[in-house]
Amino acid sequence: MEDRYISLAHGNGGRYMRELIAEIFARHLSATGADDGLDVTLDAAPIRLDGGETYMTTDGFIVQPLEFPGGDIGSLAVNGTVNDLAVSGATPRFLSLNAFIEEGLEVATLDRIVKSLGAAAREAGVQVVAGDTKVLPRGEGGGLYLATTGVGVRPAGLELGLQHIRPGDSILVSGPIGDHGICVMLARQDFQISGNVRSDCGNVIALAKAAMAFDGLRFMRDPTRAGLAGVSYEIAQQAGVTVRLRETDVPVRDPVRMVCEMLGYDPYYLACEGRCIAVVAPEQAEALLAEWQKLPEGEGAAIIGEIRDGAARTVLETELAGERILDDLEEDPLPRIC
Amino acid sequence: MTLEARRLILTGRVQGVGYRPFVYNRAVELGLRGTVLNGSGKVFVHAEGEVEALERLEHDLVNAAPPLARPELASSERVEPQGLDGFAILSSDASTEAEIHVPPDLFTCDDCLAELTGREERRFAYPFINCTQCGPRYTIITAMPYDRPNTSMAGFPLCDDCRAEYENPADRRFHAQPLACPVCGPQLEYVPAVGATSVATDVSFSAERSRLTSLLRAIEALEQGQILAIKGVGGYHLVCDAASDEAVQTLRERKRRPHKPLAVMFPLAGEDGLDAARAYLDLDEVTERALIDPARPIVLCPRRSDVSRDRAFTKNGVATDVAPTLRLSRYLAPGLCELGAFLPYSPLHHELLNGFGRPVVATSGNVSGEPVITDNREAEERLAGVADAFLHHDRPIVRPADDPVVRPMAGRSRLIRPGRGIAPVERRLPGKLSRPVIATGGHMKDTVALAWGDRVVVSPHVGDLDSPRSNDIFNILINDLQSLYDVKYHRIACDLHPGYASTRWARKQGAPLVRVQHHAAHASALAGEHADVERWLVFTWDGVGYGGDGSLWGGEALAGRPGQWQRAASFRPFRLVGGDKAGREPWRSAAALLWADGQDVRASLARDDSAAQSNDREQDALLLAKQAWDQGSNTFETSAAGRLFDAAAALVLGRTHASFEGQGPMELEQIAVAGADAIPLPLAPDGTGLLRSDWAPLLPILGDESMTQAERAGVFHETMARALADQAEAIARSVAFDAVGLSGGVFQNRLLTERVVAILAARGVDVRLHEALPANDGGLCFGQVIEALALQHMNVGAT
Repeated sequence: MEDRYISLAHGNGGRYMRELIAEIFARHLSATGADDGLDVTLDAAPIRLDGGETYMTTDGFIVQPLEFPGGDIGSLAVNGTVNDLAVSGATPRFLSLNAFIEEGLEVATLDRIVKSLGAAAREAGVQVVAGDTKVLPRGEGGGLYLATTGVGVRPAGLELGLQHIRPGDSILVSGPIGDHGICVMLARQDFQISGNVRSDCGNVIALAKAAMAFDGLRFMRDPTRAGLAGVSYEIAQQAGVTVRLRETDVPVRDPVRMVCEMLGYDPYYLACEGRCIAVVAPEQAEALLAEWQKLPEGEGAAIIGEIRDGAARTVLETELAGERILDDLEEDPLPRIC
Repeated sequence: MTLEARRLILTGRVQGVGYRPFVYNRAVELGLRGTVLNGSGKVFVHAEGEVEALERLEHDLVNAAPPLARPELASSERVEPQGLDGFAILSSDASTEAEIHVPPDLFTCDDCLAELTGREERRFAYPFINCTQCGPRYTIITAMPYDRPNTSMAGFPLCDDCRAEYENPADRRFHAQPLACPVCGPQLEYVPAVGATSVATDVSFSAERSRLTSLLRAIEALEQGQILAIKGVGGYHLVCDAASDEAVQTLRERKRRPHKPLAVMFPLAGEDGLDAARAYLDLDEVTERALIDPARPIVLCPRRSDVSRDRAFTKNGVATDVAPTLRLSRYLAPGLCELGAFLPYSPLHHELLNGFGRPVVATSGNVSGEPVITDNREAEERLAGVADAFLHHDRPIVRPADDPVVRPMAGRSRLIRPGRGIAPVERRLPGKLSRPVIATGGHMKDTVALAWGDRVVVSPHVGDLDSPRSNDIFNILINDLQSLYDVKYHRIACDLHPGYASTRWARKQGAPLVRVQHHAAHASALAGEHADVERWLVFTWDGVGYGGDGSLWGGEALAGRPGQWQRAASFRPFRLVGGDKAGREPWRSAAALLWADGQDVRASLARDDSAAQSNDREQDALLLAKQAWDQGSNTFETSAAGRLFDAAAALVLGRTHASFEGQGPMELEQIAVAGADAIPLPLAPDGTGLLRSDWAPLLPILGDESMTQAERAGVFHETMARALADQAEAIARSVAFDAVGLSGGVFQNRLLTERVVAILAARGVDVRLHEALPANDGGLCFGQVIEALALQHMNVGAT
């Protein structure tokens, strides 16, 4: 492609568009073997799914900035969708991709992002088999929006879901929380701090697989928007139990903690993009922890709390031996304290 | 001799205060015949006999009533004599529809104290002695009317001796519902904490021995410097020797409460009971009266002036040169000249203090910000890491009531925290509500109020609604107030702040909501206490309240009346970084003012001495905060006067981080010299025409190290007082008002409040302060009720 910037012509269905698709999307999204990549000649792609129940999910991605330490909107668009399948117990297999590109986006930027998307897809073992691009007039698009739909297969008979959660169960997280949220916030505001905070953007497939080897596994979820507190809130409400978390056991990296303390953010509500939360029978918690810690993405895993009988709410046992309710996320948290 | 009969109905506080036995005795003395009957809050008297005696009875029933009763004669009518023999107390009639009054918990009366110490008495040293004039009430009542089966004493069947007293109209324990003795009543139990070294004592298991032994073991443990969790009336106390630095420090470490003042209970001694307290405290008429008040509140009293006001003030607020003749630990209220003092109010406390002989620390047995713990098992679980041993008893506490706290200000004691002995606070409304209202208050120091007709009752202190226990008690109190007073709410009054747990609760109930702006509620709370004032100018100064315009208020002058408050003046707004953190980190307020003024902030201003950090990290952190401030990232505009006090504490004292709410301003107040000069703050309308005082001229003075801390603190207070007076004067030019009111947590500051009162009074202004409710957020629920009442008359507000 000769153009440096995306223009409306790249969305007109003609030569510009074909070039864009061929040289950026098709190039980066073909898998290792030449045959099983994105076939741009088809209107619809045949997919074959064996070995269990078919699961499908979809997600949209509008992150700013488009690229941030540890990831970009491309890797996010793969991992976000793939992780939703993985924590449902399904092996992700196929993805579709919609790209809404704003007029004026640098082609080089788009190229890097789609390349990263392809790499993330290969790492997750999924094929992008269908896609579409649209170009939005300048000022209407935030650079680039992506939407992905994922399809996967889940072994039949797997008992996984909120309804299986029991009082006494343990709660694990696969690594430190808040990295993605703080990383993106810092990148967006162009803060200059020496502490290097990278997004945890990545897939949790291996983590989920490891967890599914345990028959005591009840439930998994990736704590994206609203973070650990959001997942806990949902567990408490849907399962009608008290979720107890121990502040001292929840892993938070030092720089993330520092930024949270300084700017008044609560790490429990910050998004992660490569973490898995698992609820597991208490007698299998230690073993699952050990399995997770063997994986590079589970190195920082920890048992962070448990399920109790009681009012449907999340209670955080604080460092100072107090207890704090982690309530549903407010749209616009305002200071409350005198 | 004329014979006739009268039917008298008495209302007011006539339940649980020995009123019926009083009626009985008086009637019998006067030779009258008839009946007395309790009916859901009213007392019905039928008396027949000579007219003179009837007149006399009618007079005495109101004017010679027992000390704790507050009877009102609701009606008196002539009825047909029935030719009765003698006088009888009939059992309570639950079917009568009438006004219900829930009595608060009462301190131990002199008669019971005498028995408690009388060796030959059958209740000698029995820590649950009580009578119609004293003992627990609110914390043991499960349902109304107040009769034994409706209390947590229901599980203690009376022994024959007690039953005889209970049934004898001439006995002072006639119908004393919590009546008990060593044979049939509650018992103490001493339990060393798991893993604690127990105090070796010869243990025997007879009830009496175990009672004495439990108490003796507790006293022995105190003498050894141990920390005890002792179950009292409204909950557990954590108790230790107030003279022992080591014990007090250990308590502070275990409770993770490095600086927050600890209350001290002094033994009752001397003619007026205050001799022991007087040895340590500088008492005057107001503090003395407050200390011996039947509610037995914690009274903030000046310590005897062995501490000079200009003393060295170290960074962590510990004064170094305390040397009172009679030693109390220097760690009780570090950095403050006042001490929270109170007297024993239950027989158990009397026994304990008599046995120990010296003042003890008696602080709420809770986890910070939560209501006091009431349940034996919960105490053992949640105070496990704090107490060395537990002194339990088996009389259940139905609902918690923390000790009330008062502070003398402007000539009388002012309530800081409503609690045991005071709550439920029952008040009359200045009008009638068409439908019952529950008011949920705020978020910190919360209380709730139930209001119906022309009545309102305010709960004791619930605490900060962050914790599950606070939220549970919040729910329990809302249910309990309704069942005790037999009223169901139809509407909910709550704060505007969407993030308050109390507002979230309100939204979930599905009842019509009256959302009341935070400072309007403060102003209305004050107006509700002074129904004679029509047109108000109320200064509502506090830490933070949701303004409804997206900014956070807290330095607002509101003109008008309930339901019609208009913002008349405020402070120049400033931008705070860090959200909720600002409340506990005064440096953020200081930095906000300095940055707004174009100044640099030194890293030391943000330094937290309790957290060791490298200089690089400190620099990084501050740079980050500044960038966030520049970009408006997670920052909030505020005009809160409380934050100005925080800023001053950070700049003058180096109080950069507070370990409890209000620490900086409290320290600043106590160090301030009296009689400092004010500097004028410019007062001008902003773009919207709202008058705003600009704090900027304060900055050079607060940072002027050629002045002492005490001088700078003095100037700051005087300047704030003048700024208020100047605002009042400016507003008076365009708005007519009959009185100036002061409400909001900032007016717990005695120096500021008294200066404002003095300055305004000198200008001939009528100044009104809170008298029965707290100026802080504990008074919000009452103000919300007053707003709901006012809005109802205006036919608006319910959404």
